[in-house]
Amino acid sequence: MSLASARLVPSFARPPSRVAIVRAQSYSLDLGALLFQALREFDLPLRGKKVLLKPNFVEPDPGGVVNTHPAVVGAARESFLRLGAGSVRVAEGPGHERDTEAIVETIHLRDYLGSLPGLFVDLNLDEVRPVPLQTRVSKLREVYLPKTVLEADFVVSLPKLKTHHWVGATLSLKNMFGIVPGCCYGWPKNILHWAGVTGSILDINSTVRPDFTIVDGIVGMEGNGPIQGNAKPCGVLILGDDPVAVDATCARVMGLAPERIDYLAKAGTLLGHLKPGKIRQLGESITSVRTPFAVLPSFQKLVAS
Amino acid sequence: MPAKKGGGEANRKAVSSGQLTETSCRDFLIASQNPDGGWGYYRASPSSVEATSWALMALTSQSSAPPPAETRPRARAWLLQAQLPDGSWAAFPGQRQGCWTTSMASLALHLQGGSTDATVQGMNWLLDAWPAEGSLWWRLRHSLGRSAGVRQNSSLRGWSWTPGTASWVEPTSHALLLLCSLPPEFLPPRATKRRRLAERMLYDRMCPGGGWNSGNPLVYGVAGVPRIGPTAWALLALIDQAERAENQQSLEWLASAYGGIRGATSLALAYRCLRAYGRQVAPLAPALGELYQRNRFFESVLAVAWILLAWSEERSRAGQAAGECLTS
Repeated sequence: MSLASARLVPSFARPPSRVAIVRAQSYSLDLGALLFQALREFDLPLRGKKVLLKPNFVEPDPGGVVNTHPAVVGAARESFLRLGAGSVRVAEGPGHERDTEAIVETIHLRDYLGSLPGLFVDLNLDEVRPVPLQTRVSKLREVYLPKTVLEADFVVSLPKLKTHHWVGATLSLKNMFGIVPGCCYGWPKNILHWAGVTGSILDINSTVRPDFTIVDGIVGMEGNGPIQGNAKPCGVLILGDDPVAVDATCARVMGLAPERIDYLAKAGTLLGHLKPGKIRQLGESITSVRTPFAVLPSFQKLVAS
Repeated sequence: MPAKKGGGEANRKAVSSGQLTETSCRDFLIASQNPDGGWGYYRASPSSVEATSWALMALTSQSSAPPPAETRPRARAWLLQAQLPDGSWAAFPGQRQGCWTTSMASLALHLQGGSTDATVQGMNWLLDAWPAEGSLWWRLRHSLGRSAGVRQNSSLRGWSWTPGTASWVEPTSHALLLLCSLPPEFLPPRATKRRRLAERMLYDRMCPGGGWNSGNPLVYGVAGVPRIGPTAWALLALIDQAERAENQQSLEWLASAYGGIRGATSLALAYRCLRAYGRQVAPLAPALGELYQRNRFFESVLAVAWILLAWSEERSRAGQAAGECLTS
């Protein structure tokens, strides 16, 4: 996990990032095999590491549109264990719904992970510690963060490919709002909105930058996301070792211009790569999987020309 | 929802089959009390104000089988030492800023008796704590259309989760529950005005069709989807106006959603709310027993405390019904 580890590197000094696009038309495929194959390309330093998977679980939605699909979470866990991780836990702190148990039971997470106690952690109710933020873009100066996140060796952001009615798109960087504990800040974590959403996304990610990202784009959400939008089959998993590069690639797949998404444009200066020339593309090309997502009228300006 | 007779006894028997009884819940809470007197969200996790307040209220509700004599005084002492100089409580000791937990800590202390000063200080902090959406800057921003997609009357203010943020349904409901529980002699004149404003705010934030979510009833023209927790808290806070159409509409939504609830805290809360309104609902026990066998509620102190409070509501209703029979 990248807490205070000089991950704020100017783009010109940062080596190229790697992003892979893997076709996956359905959750019933052998996603474990697909992900394992794709992850091997990255040669990640996982031996004996405590890996933490951070999916995007928002509400009890049996339809599988709002939350990261549990099949993707299960496949990621299986893959990281096969790659030598010492342990792989799953943790989330939903932003609106206090009853995290209701979410994981509704989406049948147990069917993909086995028994959840001890394996799944509700970050909203975890033990917390104060952590000074590594940047000061928002009005926040420090936040309390969960011990489970702070003690992980390797944090994986596992978002769903969705539009967002406040920031345009919610991907791996925005997904990290879920590590901010509700027990300190409430449901929703309204302090992040009042401190400035864009700034908060940057400050949280500068402090706990995901070491890896896997985006569930098999079925995404378009329109009035992240909760009330429409299902958008896209048929891809997008993964990489730089959350900014992965999010930029996701935006391009969605038909959006990442440099017009405010928080992504700013993240591209210090947190990762935004420019295609700095992103080494693996697997499928963006063009071959591009699936334009509908956006709210107020975000038409984000649509790539 | 099919009507069930004798739900309390059925609850206890069925939960027993899931190896979860009222006694085992009470024992779990007693055994989970930290050496410092408080409770964490899970056994052996650091004491938090919210978990301690609910655990204490749950054990206080066990009048027929009270916990060991030292349990509640130790919890009360922990809450008192955690109170901040301004009368508020933070989420955890060591944090410097009071927040929504002030409502439940004040209420838990009030229910113990003998902590009047601390309770009144907590209440006064709440009465002085205004959410930020009424500020000049905020109103200016809204008038410029920044949040045009959200329908709400922002002059109606309740309480926020943390200072400097907006009103939301749950912290508003918690503060109202405290104000409704305190005797009139505790309440300064401004309490009535604040209470009425918060009640209006809750009704304003109700989802079209009934029920509440965290506080956004309509976003970009789409009706917000109600959620169990906020709906149950709002209904409990507004129980004085039980006959209002909004309450009844929201109760209908909660009753219809009850059978599909998959989490122990939501289930217990919904049950408590529906029973408080006198609704007959399917027994709590079978669904609880099933969840418990599946995941042991993740050993959540909050879940167990709310289950005990739900059973306590059941007993209270049963007692009322018995009293009504005797007097009829």
